[in-house]
Amino acid sequence: MKDWVFGLTMTIAGMGVTFITLYILTLVIQLLARFFPYKEEKKEESK
Amino acid sequence: MAWTDILSALVTGFSHLTWQSAFLILLGCVLLYLAIAKGFEPYLLIPIGFGIILGNLPLSGLAASDEGGVLNIIYQAGILTEIFPCLIFVGLGAMIDFGPMLANPKVLIFGAAGQFGIFLTLLLALQLGFNRPEACSIAIIGACDGPTAIYVASKYARDLLPAVSIAAYSYMSLVPIIQPPIMRLLTTKKERGIVMAYEEKKVSKRVKVLFPIVAGLLCMLIAPMGAPLMGMLMLGNLLKESGVVGRLADVSSGALVNIVTLLLGLCVGSSMLAGNFLQWGTILVFILGLVAIALDTVTGVLLGKLMGVLTRGKINPLIGAAGTSAFPMSARVVQKEGQKANPRSFLLWHAIGANTGGQIGSVMAASVMLAIMAGMHILPA
Repeated sequence: MKDWVFGLTMTIAGMGVTFITLYILTLVIQLLARFFPYKEEKKEESK
Repeated sequence: MAWTDILSALVTGFSHLTWQSAFLILLGCVLLYLAIAKGFEPYLLIPIGFGIILGNLPLSGLAASDEGGVLNIIYQAGILTEIFPCLIFVGLGAMIDFGPMLANPKVLIFGAAGQFGIFLTLLLALQLGFNRPEACSIAIIGACDGPTAIYVASKYARDLLPAVSIAAYSYMSLVPIIQPPIMRLLTTKKERGIVMAYEEKKVSKRVKVLFPIVAGLLCMLIAPMGAPLMGMLMLGNLLKESGVVGRLADVSSGALVNIVTLLLGLCVGSSMLAGNFLQWGTILVFILGLVAIALDTVTGVLLGKLMGVLTRGKINPLIGAAGTSAFPMSARVVQKEGQKANPRSFLLWHAIGANTGGQIGSVMAASVMLAIMAGMHILPA
């Protein structure tokens, strides 16, 4: 494999996976926030 | 013994001082000046600057490469074994508050844009004749994250480790000088002055505790090669957010990270020797490192501009510049530049979110890079 092909592969795969992973993390955070909203926690504390 | 012998013994240090060593000692003094008089990242620059001075003193045996010397032992044990970067990540995790990012997860995407510089610099380094492991080790300076750069370079290009680590740490601390001109060049004053709405969203403790576990697992399963860094970062954060191991969290974010930073800074500084550094190859590493961080800022701000257009002006493009891993320097720079353009603009909260995203993004980018290298059976240089 030529150097520029290696570089391009690394760039596309590297940035692609980084973007996709962080996007999935965004969804995971939104999901966590939906399951465990701040208000519920306050209710539990008051019990 | 003649008086001349005594005199010559007393001036041995001076007589062995070369102009190259003197130049680097002067450079060490400049770093000390920047740290003490200008306040540029003193926790990093004082150990590095003093390390440069110690390492370049003739006959002192204090260079990181001097077999059996005290700094050589620490260098071998902490840097070449990759222990220091991992321990620093425990401390970083214990210091970072992912709250702003968890409250506004969309800013996480800036953490990916801030890594573009790594890969664009990789292409440049390959074109300039560096081999693949060397090019990857140089490009990772663009992660704007000293420990990550050391981790990658110590695996793949140990010869370049001193140059890469010095460049990574120096540029990390010089982010307040590097980023603002690029930010001003790519944006109008009107864009920089955009006020971003701030609505306080509180995040439940459960989310804060679950995030390091879930995010850590996900990232480590996607790119296991970066697990030592990501795992330690998330462990540190879990210690902090769990709320049940206050002593461990305090030690990790205080004593541990301070001691390791001191030792790592000293070792990195003392590895910067006149003979190795005043060479074209090393100068090229420094130039490429600067290009990498500049490109991170460019791509971050450009994504910020795009997001600004897509959200009809609700996003200040400067936020994109905080997508690097230089935490919290980049976020502070964004806040400062935003306020210069519009004193009513407070971007810190949003910028901190993007900056913590950059921390995760840089480790992810490095992990993916390591995974691809391993997948292609690329051996160390």
